[in-house]
Amino acid sequence: MATTATPGSRTIFRRPASHTGFWSWITTADHKKIGIMYGYTAFTFFILGGLEALLIRIQLAQPDSAFLSASEYNAMFTMHGTTMIFLFVMPVSAAFFNYLLPLMIGARDVAFPRMNAVSFWIFVFGGVFLYTSFLFGTTGPPAGGNLAEAASRLGSGPNGGWFGYAPNSGIRFSTGTVMDYWSIGLQILGLSSLISSINFIVTIFNMRAKGMKLLRMPVFVWMTTVVAFLLLFSLPIIAVALFMITFDRSFGTLFFDPSMGGDPILWQHFFWLFGHPEVYILILPAMGIVSEVLPTFSRKPLFGYPAVVFAGAAIGFMGFGVWAHHMFSSGVTPITQAAFGLSTMAIAIPTGIKIFNWIGTIWGGKVKLNTPMLFSLGFVGMFVIGGLSGVTHSIVPADWQQTDTYYIVAHFHYVLFGGAIFGLFSGLYYWFPKLTGRMYSEALGKVHFWVFFIGFNLTFGPMHWLGLNGMVRRTWVYAEETGLGPWNMAVTVGAFIIALGVLIFMINWSWSKRNGPIAPFDPWDARTLEWTMPSPTPEYNFAVNPVVTSLDDFWHKKYTEDSDGRPVRRPEAAALVAELEEVGLNPPAPIHLPNPSYYPFMVGLGMPMIGYGVIYRGAAWGIPLGIVGALIIIGSFIGWGVEPLEEPHEEHSDHADEPEPGDDHGEDA
Amino acid sequence: MAEEHALAHPTPRQYVQIAVLLAILTAIEVALYYLEQSIDAFTTSIAAPLLILLAVMKFVIVVGWFMHLRYEKSLLSKFFTTGFVAAMVLYVAVLFALGAVVLL
Amino acid sequence: MADVAHTDGHHDVHESTGIDNRKLGMWVFLSSEFMFFGALISNYMLFKGRDYSAFVPAGQSVILPRELYDIPFTSVSSFVLLMSSLTMVLAHDALASGDQNRTRVWLAATGLLGSVFIGGQVFEFTEFVQQGMTLSTNPAASAFFVLTGFHGAHVFLGILMLLSLYGISKRQGGLTESQGLNVELVGLYWHFVDIIWIVIFTIVYLIP
Repeated sequence: MATTATPGSRTIFRRPASHTGFWSWITTADHKKIGIMYGYTAFTFFILGGLEALLIRIQLAQPDSAFLSASEYNAMFTMHGTTMIFLFVMPVSAAFFNYLLPLMIGARDVAFPRMNAVSFWIFVFGGVFLYTSFLFGTTGPPAGGNLAEAASRLGSGPNGGWFGYAPNSGIRFSTGTVMDYWSIGLQILGLSSLISSINFIVTIFNMRAKGMKLLRMPVFVWMTTVVAFLLLFSLPIIAVALFMITFDRSFGTLFFDPSMGGDPILWQHFFWLFGHPEVYILILPAMGIVSEVLPTFSRKPLFGYPAVVFAGAAIGFMGFGVWAHHMFSSGVTPITQAAFGLSTMAIAIPTGIKIFNWIGTIWGGKVKLNTPMLFSLGFVGMFVIGGLSGVTHSIVPADWQQTDTYYIVAHFHYVLFGGAIFGLFSGLYYWFPKLTGRMYSEALGKVHFWVFFIGFNLTFGPMHWLGLNGMVRRTWVYAEETGLGPWNMAVTVGAFIIALGVLIFMINWSWSKRNGPIAPFDPWDARTLEWTMPSPTPEYNFAVNPVVTSLDDFWHKKYTEDSDGRPVRRPEAAALVAELEEVGLNPPAPIHLPNPSYYPFMVGLGMPMIGYGVIYRGAAWGIPLGIVGALIIIGSFIGWGVEPLEEPHEEHSDHADEPEPGDDHGEDA
Repeated sequence: MAEEHALAHPTPRQYVQIAVLLAILTAIEVALYYLEQSIDAFTTSIAAPLLILLAVMKFVIVVGWFMHLRYEKSLLSKFFTTGFVAAMVLYVAVLFALGAVVLL
Repeated sequence: MADVAHTDGHHDVHESTGIDNRKLGMWVFLSSEFMFFGALISNYMLFKGRDYSAFVPAGQSVILPRELYDIPFTSVSSFVLLMSSLTMVLAHDALASGDQNRTRVWLAATGLLGSVFIGGQVFEFTEFVQQGMTLSTNPAASAFFVLTGFHGAHVFLGILMLLSLYGISKRQGGLTESQGLNVELVGLYWHFVDIIWIVIFTIVYLIP
């Protein structure tokens, strides 16, 4: 595109131009806006997943309860797990990656800003598609069965559990459409994550500020790197498995149908080959956040930075070698059991290294117990409990006893709620000032932590002994004679206490966002680059591209050490911060940014149309709808291909003779 | 960038020569297939490893010369090799765990 | 030059590794594609060796993919795809020497060879179905069709990208290395699809 004299005429639609208001959000390619949208969308799904959990707990509060029907209970536990994993923890981690990654490495944006928007919109439409199962899905009777129970709408969600084991999820035992919604919905969500993983990898490798060597990157960025590689290599596996189950259900293939020579254990292998790295995909972002919060509030550098980084990478690497420990009761061979039992024990080592380094970071520090610090400390404590109960699964005979009981439920909630979600809330409070330009209410934040902490332990602690006493997972009633009633009631009370905590958080967030005290640049006296810029972050990020000379560069510019190794604030620190404030708000040179685009939204829109086309291919409108969806996607990419990334800017007329005004960021097709 | 390359890219003539080499390798593959079908058990047992060797050669030639990987920075080779090795190791492990015969 | 990472003088973005963002992204994507095709290939490897005689009605024989292969035919279509890699690399080379017309011709040739390959695959599938092997015959047949079908879908996507490049080359200004979709990226994708076929041809067709 040598001449771009009239750029508007070169695109199919007029380009969106507004930078504020509704359309600016729909069409944005700004990583910060996309991050914020990821956060709010994910939080909406968190509320939905939480409501599903509360319904489960009301049902289980008393023995022989009839609050939910069996089919409703199946839909609730399936969608609770699916929502929390794929629609809350993953996207809220993506929100942090999006918002913080470019800031922490000193970049103006991610490598492919519009691809980033594509990831987001595919995620939104995939999540909505999954949830429309409650509106349009049917469960249907099992083949040859007479249990033609007409499921209520609440019971018409996907019902095969979050790991959708075949052949239960196959067409023979799930004759309705709900598992089609599940398999196709997850496929769409996986595509979104795959695109963002490529984007993050290229961003981290290619977009770092001058001097930001790999081993000068904040631990959070390192954990993002590991997560991106885990996504990159594990998502294709689940994509194939989901294609296979979709083909089994819709087009008559026989992969997982044992009555025709298929192999349901293959599903388990493929699923957990993805599913175990997925566990680390969920926990590593929180570990990254904690590794930023603990040093900041301990007034010390992170203890053993290289060890934490390499332990994170080792967890990612070993995470691919433990998948069969999910299958010890599925009849895998003794050699497989021994090998995976050992690898499961071994993966505790890098995790232990991290715990050790975090404790070393706090040790001897001047600890300030602000809300983010409380949540991070909660993370360390709860994650140790969850990690230890996890190691008990590596003992194969013990695992046989624990499989499919509430002991397992207790274990993974200690790592994913006590771990991941505590870490994520820690991050939400920590970066709240950078996000909004205001401070949250510290009092409400601390109340939130303690309510959460008590509610969490009351909910998931008793599940350990409920499970060991024989309470099975995924069963909608239990008999009174089991004696499990009282502890179940306690668990339910705990769940409602957690809900109260979420409510306090929402009040704090929405009130402080408008009315909190104005936040300075660097409210926590922190270490990483995002604190060198104004709060909230200006659209152009860095007024002047930063140059980094060491790990924790900003900290070392503010602090030096006395003879005992204690940090001492440099006298010139105040002047430095004042200068940053002066420059940060007044960039010396005009900075141009990726222009917004409609096409990412359109790509997202096309995805569920293909999904409906596959599910309703029997209806007259089904296949045409799918084709229209595919054409929208292809057309959007073509329109995108001819749309320059940036319109020529007045202030760059001195470069008007250059052949290529667009594509400064090396935009992908 | 050109100055960063120690090696110059092949010329069109060399590309054609590479393609001829690939065609010859393919012809040997097909010939081996018929040998494997027609002669005794010994030939069958060496045909399969030979076929894999030939496929690896074609693979390396296309990746190295047509995809220019041997002219690129080593980072790209690292990514690419990681993906390939990870896939090999993991799926051989899965097939092993499932009790399927691997490769032969 | 074909490999010049675009370096706009007016922008301060630099690429830390010295590799163009899009190219790095494409290689990263291709490395993940190994996991995708690896799963499909191992799926076929698992099912091809199993005994399905218990699952067919008495008196009928099991139809396995390997019994229906037409090796001369598949060899020719494999050869066609291999040669499309040559035309692709020649297109890239022509663009590097600034010859838009020759680039366009080679792009068109690549797309054409790709279409011949797809046509051959459609013919092969039709033939197999007529001989009684469908998606639902047995898991080995399912795995064969899904593996080669997904490979074909990749070739089809590649043809779409070649068509887009052809369209761009007709526009004012023609092809440059700096537009979002460029010849080098499509070339990488195309060659990758070719090497996957090299693996499939050997493992699925030639080794029984």
